[in-house]
Amino acid sequence: MKNSSGRGYLMSFIKDLLFFPSKISDEKQIIDKTLEREIHLARNIQMKLLNGKIPKFEGGEVLGLSLPARLIGGDYYDFYLLGNGKIRVVIGDVMGKGIPAAMLMILTRGAFRSASESTDSPGQTLTAMNQALYEDLRTLKSFVTLFCADWDPQTGILTYANAGHNLPLFIDGKERIVKELPKVSGIMIGGLPNQVYKEGAIHLKNEDIVFFYTDGILEAQNKDGDQYKMERLVHALLSNIDKEIKEIGQCVVDSVNEFTEGVPQKDDITMVLLKVSNRKAKISSFNSSITNSKER
Amino acid sequence: MALSIQKESSNGTTVLKIHGILDISTAFILEQFIQELENVRELIIDFSNLEFIDSTGVGVIIEFIYLSQEKNFTIRFQGIDEQTYEIFETIGLFKVLEAFQDGHSNVS
Repeated sequence: MKNSSGRGYLMSFIKDLLFFPSKISDEKQIIDKTLEREIHLARNIQMKLLNGKIPKFEGGEVLGLSLPARLIGGDYYDFYLLGNGKIRVVIGDVMGKGIPAAMLMILTRGAFRSASESTDSPGQTLTAMNQALYEDLRTLKSFVTLFCADWDPQTGILTYANAGHNLPLFIDGKERIVKELPKVSGIMIGGLPNQVYKEGAIHLKNEDIVFFYTDGILEAQNKDGDQYKMERLVHALLSNIDKEIKEIGQCVVDSVNEFTEGVPQKDDITMVLLKVSNRKAKISSFNSSITNSKER
Repeated sequence: MALSIQKESSNGTTVLKIHGILDISTAFILEQFIQELENVRELIIDFSNLEFIDSTGVGVIIEFIYLSQEKNFTIRFQGIDEQTYEIFETIGLFKVLEAFQDGHSNVS
């Protein structure tokens, strides 16, 4: 009995030893699958929030596109239709990549939406967002660069402010030239507290385009390690300037893909396009529905 | 190794020379030097051999700036090329540095 019990114990021990690696492997597989499922759910959440409702308005169109380098990313863009008929655009880049950056991107989105409710201009929006996020970002040793702009279809004026982001490109639809928006600079969100963000403004005419983007486009690399760079972006924009806004966005993506030839993206790629169209033709019908036309 | 750091210390001055790519995959290497900084009066970060920096890399540089206030030392940047200068300038890094160094830009 003693012998039999001892042998049983020994057999069971040997069996455990033999099957131990496969047990670990099974558990690892379950954890991997759970993680994978959760990352995909997180990606769905991020993509749904990013690709939310695009506001429709008279006098122009907006479009946003984001291609994360990993399953989820830290780039951000958003639109917010203001009560005075203006449309607020924001684009940003959270420090880092992947899940940590994505979590902070969601935090940034909440701050933007909340600030847009209570502020009258892009500079004020960035100030409010910096105040809201500074402590958290400082604690997390992170930062966010943001560019925020208010487009007024009635006056054609785009007012903007910058928190450490690269300047968007202005594409003159008539002259067919591309240049950066007149420079306005400011410190990234999370850099220093109590920041006041200066504002710049530009008058947009019919067929003009403003191209907001993150640096992942210019830094996209091909197999030789060369970067896509500004020259190629300008060429892609000018070659497709007359197309519909969706097509222009897609053409830029195609141009980047053609350049990189399947080399995996290192950084998130995000762009927002604003195209002015038939502002004068539609202004009368637009005026009739707007009451707060004198606000800047 | 995509990133290597050369450290030289003498008379309270520490020089960190960055060689290679400072990005999300290598930033932890430079980050390790943050913990090691003791009894420093001046920290010089040399970017002469920096090949590429991304936002995570910039984040580590900002950590050094924050630490300079905690541990009361000055920071100087040297050997910054045009592209890196533009990145730091756009992000507002020099202004953060100035704010933490009593208005001195300390960039050469």
